[in-house]
Amino acid sequence: MSAHLSIRGLEKSFGAVKATNNANLELAAGELHAIIGPNGAGKSTLIAQIAGEIRPDKGQILLGGRDITAVPAHERPRLGLARSFQVSQLYPEFSLLENLAVAIAAREGRSFGFWKPLSRDRSLLDPAFAYLQQVGLAPRAEDRVSELSHGERRQLELALALAQEASVLLLDEPMAGLGAEESARMTEQLMALKGRYAILLVEHDMDAVFALADRITVLVYGETILSGSVEEIRGSQLVRAAYLGEEHA
Amino acid sequence: MSRRIIIDLACLATFALLPLLAALLDEPFLVSLFTRLAIYGMAAASLDLLIGYGALVSFGHAAFFGLGGYVVGIVAFHTAQLMPLWGWEGSNSALIVWPLALLCCALLGLVMGYLSLRTSGVQFIMITLAFSQMLYFILGSLSFYGGDDGILLNERNSLPGLDLNDANQFYYLCVALLVGWLLFCRRLVGSRFGFVLRGLKQSERRTVSLGLQPVRYRLTAFVIAGLGAGLAGILWANYALFVSPDMAAWQKSGELMAMVILGGVGTLLGPVLGAAAYLGLEQLLSLWTEHWLLAFGPLLLLVVLFGRQGIYGLLMKGADKPRRARARSALPPLAAQEVRP
Repeated sequence: MSAHLSIRGLEKSFGAVKATNNANLELAAGELHAIIGPNGAGKSTLIAQIAGEIRPDKGQILLGGRDITAVPAHERPRLGLARSFQVSQLYPEFSLLENLAVAIAAREGRSFGFWKPLSRDRSLLDPAFAYLQQVGLAPRAEDRVSELSHGERRQLELALALAQEASVLLLDEPMAGLGAEESARMTEQLMALKGRYAILLVEHDMDAVFALADRITVLVYGETILSGSVEEIRGSQLVRAAYLGEEHA
Repeated sequence: MSRRIIIDLACLATFALLPLLAALLDEPFLVSLFTRLAIYGMAAASLDLLIGYGALVSFGHAAFFGLGGYVVGIVAFHTAQLMPLWGWEGSNSALIVWPLALLCCALLGLVMGYLSLRTSGVQFIMITLAFSQMLYFILGSLSFYGGDDGILLNERNSLPGLDLNDANQFYYLCVALLVGWLLFCRRLVGSRFGFVLRGLKQSERRTVSLGLQPVRYRLTAFVIAGLGAGLAGILWANYALFVSPDMAAWQKSGELMAMVILGGVGTLLGPVLGAAAYLGLEQLLSLWTEHWLLAFGPLLLLVVLFGRQGIYGLLMKGADKPRRARARSALPPLAAQEVRP
């Protein structure tokens, strides 16, 4: 399989701290690739560089063979890159439908309308509702996001990423802060997405990672020390020492 | 009928019937006061577009008020003196002069916005202040146009079908433009563009990750708001038949901001009520003392400390939002179990 998204020799320092240090990664089309690593390993920084929020000091990011290292963050979604955030980034004053309608208007390049009310625009609301159904939030479509529970917000994060109809999803800890039941539901939903998108998943929940991932890359101190299948990572002594040892000893 | 519509209609009725009331009470001065109110209301509502919906706290909004007025003043000056302006003999027609003034305001908005929007927060406040003060000093240095003393106009601009020199007709024109402006702004904030602008206020990161470039939307809002204040400046020049650099001074920007806060940030109609309260208090308190701001200051403080959405919030207090309420009662909460880390 040819790599859809590849990261080559990425480096990023904040002062004396090397947040990313020679990170390499290959994500094939339709593959679910998980990144694991201890706290502070630079997982979110890596996602932020792929999404374009942070510019790397060195290295390359290639999407579909094209070098996008210098493409600004707001242009990357159009190239097929969508992300979700570790700490939910939603519009709390809008309803769920309106949140998604903004995403759809943005995707379709129709965000410069000055007259037609968004909240009554069926061409946005109908598809918006479909995405809410997909993540099981349809009953709350008209509610404000500020009224949602934490778990529901995580699902809306996912719905927003889906609404961008990207080929690559960057999911930054979608299970962050979820209870066991909610985590299981999220795992199920991600399982349903497998194969349709190339997914880069950063996650702490090992059960979820082992259940979902095709391949796993281990990140320690900003460096990708190992990439392999679930079995290889489970069996690796190096990984046990660096990471799993802390929680699964 | 919802509370919001009742407030709208009450305001509209007051504005519509005022000249009648003034005639009954034999107080023509009321029409003049309410003309000022409509003009300031328009400027304040346009600032609310930035502060309330874009979280862009501009401290230089009077620049547009001053520039709009000055374009009218300068063209009137050249027309009256029969002194061609770059080969143009000038005009007194509102249909020519006003669009010209608005064009100048749009250009100022583009430049000022483009440079200011590179910053945010306190820096944005300071840089917009700096721009408007620059304009203030430039206008004051135009000794040809009276310098600090400004320009006196001989007559109001002419509009076909209307006699703007008639106090009532000019008043109704100002009210009509104010109503039109408010309706346009309401439409705007509910449009796709409006949602993006309001979304930027809530989460810029999310907006960027949806593929939208923040500056484009903020700059557009900045220019639109500048046009509103510019139109108010145009009307003011016609109302007072006088323009001076004070129209662009920081005190004027501060007044507009006070009106927005007093009336209710992010409510559009609120700032008009804020303008009414401000001008009304100025009228009343200045009868009592010329240091009327001494009494106004604490009042503004109270509103900021205790009133969440100013006068408009006070009027709306207790009014339920029907759509949300219905959605709530019809559907039981789906995921009651909330788990946080």
